[in-house]
Amino acid sequence: MNAPLVTLTLHDSRRIYQPGETLSGQYHIDAPEGSETHAVEVSVLWHTEGKGDEDIAVHYFDRVSHDDRMGLDFRQPRVFSTVLPNSPLSYEGVLVKIRWCVRLRVFMARGRQTVEERLFQLGEVPPARAILP
Amino acid sequence: MSAADKWRPAETLPRTNPFSTRFIQPGALPFLFPADVNASQLVARLAQQEWWGEIIGPHGSGKSTLLASLTPELCRANRRVVQITLHDGERTLRAHNAAIAGIDSQTVLIVDGYEQLWIWNRYLLRRFCRKRRSGLLVTAHSGAGLPALFETRVDRRTASAVLARLCPDGDVVNQSDLDRALAAHGQDLREALFELYDLYEQRHTK
Repeated sequence: MNAPLVTLTLHDSRRIYQPGETLSGQYHIDAPEGSETHAVEVSVLWHTEGKGDEDIAVHYFDRVSHDDRMGLDFRQPRVFSTVLPNSPLSYEGVLVKIRWCVRLRVFMARGRQTVEERLFQLGEVPPARAILP
Repeated sequence: MSAADKWRPAETLPRTNPFSTRFIQPGALPFLFPADVNASQLVARLAQQEWWGEIIGPHGSGKSTLLASLTPELCRANRRVVQITLHDGERTLRAHNAAIAGIDSQTVLIVDGYEQLWIWNRYLLRRFCRKRRSGLLVTAHSGAGLPALFETRVDRRTASAVLARLCPDGDVVNQSDLDRALAAHGQDLREALFELYDLYEQRHTK
């Protein structure tokens, strides 16, 4: 069965965001016939990335499902918006990195899911550099 | 900083290190089975063994990754999976009593790192599982006295396939880097991939 076509865009997708600024975007889903979208979750979150265990925290979360609202049409663009926090700032370390992203999780029939992400940068902490031997 | 300075193309956002934990941890990478076996065959074999079995193999050879690949098959076989992971020096199941308490004849209890337990506690666990008529699937570095299910090992073909999945372009880290890392870590693929993480960081920085 074909995966749904998920379109996720940030209104300022080329931008480095600063703490306190508003991040906004929109999404819509074109599901193949017979592949009904049951629910969509949009999150704005940060997670660590590196050689150790991963930490994650969700700053913004919104779930829209047919259980809550009848007659939803996910083909129509839906807008989300949130004011970004002061921390943690995006960080490009060697052993650990802090990434911010918008994550869209689409729940389909028979428990299938698809996930789409858009990375963005919060703040402008200079990247660390590996010390070369 | 001027307003113009705040804009930059999305493609200049930091490049993700493909050897980060999130991409190499069990479940993120599928277990790469040899040509003559697959997950459903192993689960069928486990069923024949009354859901008891052991997966043995050295450090970093894919035991936990194999467990992650078997779990969905076990669920499809109408087994309830309860998994506990024992860490270095964890000699008892005290921290996992709540998880284990509810096991029954429909359960397969998975113990990742079984050899961490004291011998007496292994015996008690086996007796408990027999009493509850539950399955017991364990991983260990050497035979632990349960029916054999599978032996994991890392060969060059498997390691190359993992590299190709993680780093398909091979532009920053390549096969010869992997060969060197595997040789340095005695075929421990997990440690080799961590070494490639460092290498990726160094070269990417350049």
